[in-house]
Amino acid sequence: MKRLRVSIFGSLLLGAALAAPTSPLTPAQQAQVQRVGTGVRCPICRDVLPITESGNDISKQMLSQISDQVQAGQSDAQIYSYFRERYGNRVLLRPPDDSSGLLLWAIPGLALLLGAFGLGRYLRPRAAMAATVQTPIQTEPDADDPYLAEIRARVRRERGKL
Amino acid sequence: MTSTSTNPVPIWRRVLPPVLALVLVGTLGAALLRPRSGGDAGDKLLGKPAPTFALATLDGGQLSSAQLRGQPLLLNFWASWCVPCRDEAPLLRELSEKQSGKLRVVGVLFDDKDKKGMRKFIADYGLSYPNLLDSELKTAIDYGIGGVPETIYVGADGLVKSVDRGGLTRERLSAGLKTIGVEF
Repeated sequence: MKRLRVSIFGSLLLGAALAAPTSPLTPAQQAQVQRVGTGVRCPICRDVLPITESGNDISKQMLSQISDQVQAGQSDAQIYSYFRERYGNRVLLRPPDDSSGLLLWAIPGLALLLGAFGLGRYLRPRAAMAATVQTPIQTEPDADDPYLAEIRARVRRERGKL
Repeated sequence: MTSTSTNPVPIWRRVLPPVLALVLVGTLGAALLRPRSGGDAGDKLLGKPAPTFALATLDGGQLSSAQLRGQPLLLNFWASWCVPCRDEAPLLRELSEKQSGKLRVVGVLFDDKDKKGMRKFIADYGLSYPNLLDSELKTAIDYGIGGVPETIYVGADGLVKSVDRGGLTRERLSAGLKTIGVEF
Protein backbone atom coordinates (compact mmCIF):
# COMPACT_ATOMS: atom_id res chain seq x y z
CA MET A 1 0.00 0.00 0.00
CA LYS A 2 2.84 2.34 0.97
CA ARG A 3 4.64 1.44 -2.23
CA LEU A 4 1.49 2.22 -4.23
CA ARG A 5 1.16 5.60 -2.54
CA VAL A 6 4.82 6.36 -3.21
CA SER A 7 4.34 5.32 -6.83
CA ILE A 8 1.24 7.54 -7.25
CA PHE A 9 3.08 10.42 -5.57
CA GLY A 10 6.07 9.86 -7.84
CA SER A 11 3.83 9.86 -10.93
CA LEU A 12 2.12 13.09 -9.83
CA LEU A 13 5.50 14.68 -9.20
CA LEU A 14 6.79 13.55 -12.56
CA GLY A 15 3.64 14.87 -14.20
CA ALA A 16 4.15 18.24 -12.52
CA ALA A 17 7.77 18.34 -13.61
CA LEU A 18 6.88 17.38 -17.16
CA ALA A 19 4.16 19.98 -17.39
CA ALA A 20 6.76 22.74 -17.71
CA PRO A 21 8.37 22.00 -21.11
CA THR A 22 7.07 23.93 -24.10
CA SER A 23 6.20 20.92 -26.23
CA PRO A 24 4.86 17.74 -24.65
CA LEU A 25 7.06 14.70 -24.37
CA THR A 26 6.22 11.55 -26.28
CA PRO A 27 5.33 8.47 -24.17
CA ALA A 28 8.79 7.06 -24.92
CA GLN A 29 10.44 10.29 -23.71
CA GLN A 30 8.26 10.31 -20.58
CA ALA A 31 9.34 6.74 -19.91
CA GLN A 32 12.97 7.83 -20.31
CA VAL A 33 12.50 10.71 -17.86
CA GLN A 34 10.92 8.32 -15.36
CA ARG A 35 13.68 5.75 -15.87
CA VAL A 36 16.52 8.25 -15.50
CA GLY A 37 14.77 10.04 -12.60
CA THR A 38 14.52 6.83 -10.59
CA GLY A 39 18.28 6.40 -10.98
CA VAL A 40 19.18 9.86 -9.64
CA ARG A 41 19.31 10.44 -5.91
CA CYS A 42 17.80 13.46 -4.17
CA PRO A 43 20.99 15.32 -3.11
CA ILE A 44 19.57 16.97 0.01
CA CYS A 45 17.54 14.07 1.43
CA ARG A 46 18.71 12.17 4.48
CA ASP A 47 17.14 8.98 3.14
CA VAL A 48 18.24 7.44 -0.12
CA LEU A 49 15.36 8.61 -2.30
CA PRO A 50 15.20 9.03 -6.06
CA ILE A 51 14.26 12.49 -7.25
CA THR A 52 11.01 11.06 -8.64
CA GLU A 53 9.86 10.41 -5.06
CA SER A 54 11.36 13.14 -2.87
CA GLY A 55 9.14 16.10 -3.85
CA ASN A 56 11.45 18.97 -2.76
CA ASP A 57 12.32 21.91 -4.99
CA ILE A 58 15.79 20.77 -6.01
CA SER A 59 14.47 17.33 -7.01
CA LYS A 60 11.72 18.95 -9.07
CA GLN A 61 14.33 21.14 -10.73
CA MET A 62 16.57 18.17 -11.45
CA LEU A 63 13.61 16.30 -12.96
CA SER A 64 12.85 19.33 -15.07
CA GLN A 65 16.47 19.37 -16.28
CA ILE A 66 16.21 15.68 -17.14
CA SER A 67 13.04 16.42 -19.07
CA ASP A 68 14.78 19.20 -21.01
CA GLN A 69 17.73 16.98 -21.79
CA VAL A 70 15.51 14.11 -22.92
CA GLN A 71 13.71 16.54 -25.20
CA ALA A 72 17.09 17.62 -26.56
CA GLY A 73 17.79 13.98 -27.49
CA GLN A 74 20.32 13.17 -24.76
CA SER A 75 20.85 9.51 -23.87
CA ASP A 76 20.49 8.06 -20.35
CA ALA A 77 24.29 7.84 -20.05
CA GLN A 78 24.73 11.49 -21.05
CA ILE A 79 22.17 12.65 -18.49
CA TYR A 80 23.71 10.54 -15.72
CA SER A 81 27.09 11.94 -16.68
CA TYR A 82 25.71 15.50 -16.41
CA PHE A 83 24.66 14.93 -12.78
CA ARG A 84 27.76 12.93 -11.94
CA GLU A 85 29.95 15.80 -13.08
CA ARG A 86 28.21 18.00 -10.50
CA TYR A 87 27.56 15.72 -7.56
CA GLY A 88 29.89 12.78 -8.09
CA ASN A 89 28.86 9.14 -8.06
CA ARG A 90 26.85 9.55 -4.86
CA VAL A 91 24.03 11.12 -6.88
CA LEU A 92 23.56 7.90 -8.86
CA LEU A 93 21.40 5.14 -7.43
CA ARG A 94 22.82 2.59 -9.88
CA PRO A 95 26.47 1.95 -10.64
CA PRO A 96 27.52 3.85 -13.75
CA ASP A 97 27.90 2.05 -17.09
CA ASP A 98 31.61 2.92 -17.41
CA SER A 99 34.51 0.62 -16.62
CA SER A 100 34.23 1.07 -12.84
CA GLY A 101 30.49 0.44 -13.01
CA LEU A 102 31.01 -2.67 -15.13
CA LEU A 103 33.50 -3.89 -12.54
CA LEU A 104 30.88 -3.39 -9.81
CA TRP A 105 28.31 -5.33 -11.81
CA ALA A 106 30.79 -8.08 -12.73
CA ILE A 107 32.38 -8.67 -9.30
CA PRO A 108 29.40 -10.58 -7.77
CA GLY A 109 29.16 -12.85 -10.84
CA LEU A 110 32.90 -13.45 -10.86
CA ALA A 111 32.86 -14.18 -7.13
CA LEU A 112 30.06 -16.71 -7.67
CA LEU A 113 31.96 -18.43 -10.49
CA LEU A 114 35.16 -18.47 -8.45
CA GLY A 115 33.29 -19.92 -5.47
CA ALA A 116 31.69 -22.61 -7.63
CA PHE A 117 35.10 -23.48 -9.12
CA GLY A 118 36.69 -23.67 -5.66
CA LEU A 119 33.83 -25.78 -4.30
CA GLY A 120 34.11 -28.11 -7.31
CA ARG A 121 37.83 -28.54 -6.75
CA TYR A 122 37.26 -29.15 -3.05
CA LEU A 123 34.53 -31.75 -3.60
CA ARG A 124 36.07 -33.67 -6.53
CA PRO A 125 38.89 -35.45 -4.56
CA ARG A 126 36.36 -36.47 -1.90
CA ALA A 127 34.07 -37.98 -4.48
CA ALA A 128 37.01 -39.88 -6.00
CA MET A 129 38.07 -41.06 -2.55
CA ALA A 130 34.53 -42.24 -1.81
CA ALA A 131 34.58 -44.21 -5.05
CA THR A 132 37.88 -45.94 -4.17
CA VAL A 133 36.66 -46.73 -0.67
CA GLN A 134 33.58 -48.41 -2.12
CA THR A 135 35.60 -50.77 -4.37
CA PRO A 136 36.70 -53.33 -1.69
CA ILE A 137 33.11 -53.70 -0.52
CA GLN A 138 32.25 -55.45 -3.77
CA THR A 139 31.81 -59.10 -2.77
CA GLU A 140 31.33 -60.55 -6.21
CA PRO A 141 34.58 -60.39 -8.21
CA ASP A 142 34.30 -59.67 -11.82
CA ALA A 143 34.20 -63.00 -13.65
CA ASP A 144 35.47 -61.47 -16.87
CA ASP A 145 38.65 -60.09 -15.33
CA PRO A 146 41.55 -62.19 -16.77
CA TYR A 147 43.85 -61.08 -14.00
CA LEU A 148 41.51 -62.35 -11.30
CA ALA A 149 40.98 -65.55 -13.25
CA GLU A 150 44.76 -66.08 -13.35
CA ILE A 151 45.04 -65.49 -9.61
CA ARG A 152 42.24 -67.91 -8.90
CA ALA A 153 43.86 -70.54 -11.11
CA ARG A 154 47.19 -70.11 -9.28
CA VAL A 155 45.51 -70.38 -5.89
CA ARG A 156 43.76 -73.55 -6.97
CA ARG A 157 47.06 -75.02 -8.21
CA GLU A 158 48.82 -74.14 -4.94
CA ARG A 159 46.01 -75.72 -2.95
CA GLY A 160 46.21 -78.86 -5.06
CA LYS A 161 49.93 -79.21 -4.27
CA LEU A 162 49.26 -79.08 -0.57
CA MET B 1 49.33 -51.54 5.96
CA THR B 2 48.52 -47.98 5.07
CA SER B 3 50.81 -45.47 3.47
CA THR B 4 51.69 -42.49 5.68
CA SER B 5 53.34 -40.45 2.97
CA THR B 6 51.40 -37.34 1.81
CA ASN B 7 51.91 -35.13 -1.25
CA PRO B 8 53.72 -31.89 -0.33
CA VAL B 9 51.44 -28.81 -0.58
CA PRO B 10 52.62 -26.56 -3.42
CA ILE B 11 54.17 -23.32 -2.23
CA TRP B 12 51.63 -21.18 -4.09
CA ARG B 13 48.78 -22.82 -2.16
CA ARG B 14 50.45 -21.96 1.12
CA VAL B 15 51.25 -18.38 0.10
CA LEU B 16 47.99 -17.50 -1.69
CA PRO B 17 45.60 -17.25 1.33
CA PRO B 18 47.77 -14.85 3.39
CA VAL B 19 48.51 -12.79 0.25
CA LEU B 20 44.78 -12.53 -0.55
CA ALA B 21 44.02 -11.59 3.06
CA LEU B 22 46.77 -8.96 2.99
CA VAL B 23 45.46 -7.44 -0.26
CA LEU B 24 41.91 -7.36 1.14
CA VAL B 25 42.95 -5.77 4.43
CA GLY B 26 45.22 -3.32 2.60
CA THR B 27 42.41 -2.24 0.25
CA LEU B 28 39.94 -1.78 3.10
CA GLY B 29 42.53 0.10 5.15
CA ALA B 30 43.40 2.42 2.24
CA ALA B 31 39.70 3.12 1.62
CA LEU B 32 39.08 3.89 5.29
CA LEU B 33 42.17 6.04 5.74
CA ARG B 34 41.71 8.01 2.52
CA PRO B 35 41.06 11.68 3.28
CA ARG B 36 37.35 12.47 3.34
CA SER B 37 37.72 15.27 0.82
CA GLY B 38 38.97 12.74 -1.70
CA GLY B 39 35.58 11.05 -1.80
CA ASP B 40 33.53 14.18 -1.28
CA ALA B 41 31.19 15.47 -3.93
CA GLY B 42 33.10 18.77 -3.96
CA ASP B 43 36.17 17.34 -5.55
CA LYS B 44 34.27 17.01 -8.81
CA LEU B 45 34.67 20.77 -9.09
CA LEU B 46 38.26 21.03 -7.92
CA GLY B 47 40.65 22.33 -10.53
CA LYS B 48 37.85 22.92 -13.01
CA PRO B 49 36.51 26.25 -14.26
CA ALA B 50 33.84 27.51 -11.88
CA PRO B 51 30.36 27.08 -13.40
CA THR B 52 29.07 30.35 -14.79
CA PHE B 53 25.95 32.11 -13.52
CA ALA B 54 23.95 35.28 -14.01
CA LEU B 55 21.53 35.87 -11.14
CA ALA B 56 19.40 38.60 -9.65
CA THR B 57 20.62 40.18 -6.42
CA LEU B 58 18.34 40.45 -3.43
CA ASP B 59 18.19 44.22 -3.87
CA GLY B 60 16.97 43.98 -7.46
CA GLY B 61 20.26 44.16 -9.39
CA GLN B 62 21.97 41.59 -11.57
CA LEU B 63 25.36 39.94 -11.10
CA SER B 64 27.12 37.44 -13.33
CA SER B 65 30.24 35.35 -12.90
CA ALA B 66 31.80 37.24 -15.83
CA GLN B 67 31.68 40.44 -13.75
CA LEU B 68 33.56 38.72 -10.93
CA ARG B 69 36.41 37.38 -13.06
CA GLY B 70 39.98 38.46 -12.34
CA GLN B 71 39.77 38.42 -8.54
CA PRO B 72 39.66 35.57 -6.01
CA LEU B 73 36.04 34.75 -5.23
CA LEU B 74 34.36 33.18 -2.21
CA LEU B 75 30.93 31.86 -3.09
CA ASN B 76 28.85 31.04 -0.02
CA PHE B 77 25.56 29.13 -0.41
CA TRP B 78 23.23 29.84 2.50
CA ALA B 79 19.60 30.14 3.60
CA SER B 80 17.80 32.20 6.23
CA TRP B 81 16.43 29.02 7.85
CA CYS B 82 19.91 27.50 8.20
CA VAL B 83 21.34 27.56 11.73
CA PRO B 84 25.03 26.89 10.86
CA CYS B 85 24.77 29.77 8.35
CA ARG B 86 24.10 32.09 11.32
CA ASP B 87 27.24 30.80 13.05
CA GLU B 88 29.49 31.59 10.10
CA ALA B 89 27.86 34.89 9.06
CA PRO B 90 29.98 37.08 11.44
CA LEU B 91 33.15 35.52 10.00
CA LEU B 92 32.05 36.28 6.44
CA ARG B 93 31.21 39.86 7.38
CA GLU B 94 34.64 40.30 8.96
CA LEU B 95 36.29 38.76 5.91
CA SER B 96 34.42 40.93 3.41
CA GLU B 97 35.32 44.05 5.39
CA LYS B 98 39.01 43.20 5.89
CA GLN B 99 39.69 41.88 2.38
CA SER B 100 37.64 44.41 0.47
CA GLY B 101 39.39 45.06 -2.85
CA LYS B 102 41.44 41.84 -2.72
CA LEU B 103 38.62 39.31 -2.60
CA ARG B 104 35.01 39.17 -3.76
CA VAL B 105 32.57 37.58 -1.31
CA VAL B 106 29.20 36.64 -2.79
CA GLY B 107 26.31 34.86 -1.11
CA VAL B 108 23.86 32.64 -3.01
CA LEU B 109 20.48 31.88 -1.46
CA PHE B 110 19.69 28.19 -1.54
CA ASP B 111 16.14 26.83 -1.49
CA ASP B 112 14.81 29.86 0.37
CA LYS B 113 11.56 31.63 -0.53
CA ASP B 114 11.34 33.86 2.55
CA LYS B 115 12.62 37.22 1.26
CA LYS B 116 11.69 38.92 4.53
CA GLY B 117 13.72 36.31 6.40
CA MET B 118 16.69 36.81 4.07
CA ARG B 119 16.65 40.58 4.53
CA LYS B 120 16.38 40.21 8.31
CA PHE B 121 19.32 37.78 8.30
CA ILE B 122 21.42 40.22 6.27
CA ALA B 123 20.47 43.10 8.54
CA ASP B 124 21.09 41.07 11.72
CA TYR B 125 24.66 40.26 10.68
CA GLY B 126 25.40 43.48 8.78
CA LEU B 127 26.33 41.71 5.54
CA SER B 128 27.33 44.22 2.90
CA TYR B 129 28.36 41.82 0.12
CA PRO B 130 25.93 40.90 -2.68
CA ASN B 131 23.52 38.03 -2.18
CA LEU B 132 22.03 36.31 -5.21
CA LEU B 133 18.65 34.66 -5.71
CA ASP B 134 18.98 31.23 -7.30
CA SER B 135 15.25 30.71 -7.63
CA GLU B 136 15.53 27.89 -10.19
CA LEU B 137 18.35 26.26 -8.20
CA LYS B 138 20.33 25.88 -11.43
CA THR B 139 23.48 27.40 -9.94
CA ALA B 140 23.12 25.18 -6.86
CA ILE B 141 22.91 22.10 -9.10
CA ASP B 142 25.87 23.29 -11.19
CA TYR B 143 27.94 23.59 -8.00
CA GLY B 144 26.73 20.21 -6.68
CA ILE B 145 25.13 21.73 -3.59
CA GLY B 146 23.59 19.13 -1.28
CA GLY B 147 22.78 21.38 1.70
CA VAL B 148 23.77 24.65 3.32
CA PRO B 149 26.12 26.16 4.20
CA GLU B 150 28.62 25.28 1.49
CA THR B 151 31.48 27.50 0.38
CA ILE B 152 33.35 27.44 -2.92
CA TYR B 153 36.74 29.13 -3.30
CA VAL B 154 37.48 30.28 -6.86
CA GLY B 155 40.92 31.56 -7.82
CA ALA B 156 41.61 34.70 -9.85
CA ASP B 157 42.11 32.36 -12.84
CA GLY B 158 38.48 31.24 -12.59
CA LEU B 159 39.30 27.72 -11.39
CA VAL B 160 37.76 26.12 -8.30
CA LYS B 161 40.56 25.74 -5.76
CA SER B 162 38.71 24.46 -2.70
CA VAL B 163 35.25 23.41 -1.57
CA ASP B 164 33.99 23.42 2.02
CA ARG B 165 30.75 21.55 2.55
CA GLY B 166 29.61 22.46 6.04
CA GLY B 167 29.74 25.31 8.53
CA LEU B 168 32.89 27.44 8.53
CA THR B 169 35.18 28.00 11.46
CA ARG B 170 37.97 30.58 11.42
CA GLU B 171 40.50 27.80 10.80
CA ARG B 172 38.56 26.22 7.94
CA LEU B 173 37.90 29.59 6.37
CA SER B 174 41.56 30.51 6.65
CA ALA B 175 42.62 27.19 5.07
CA GLY B 176 40.17 27.63 2.18
CA LEU B 177 41.28 31.21 1.58
CA LYS B 178 44.93 30.14 1.42
CA THR B 179 44.10 28.05 -1.66
CA ILE B 180 43.09 31.24 -3.49
CA GLY B 181 46.04 33.23 -2.18
CA VAL B 182 44.21 35.22 0.48
CA GLU B 183 45.44 35.47 4.08
CA PHE B 184 42.90 35.71 6.88
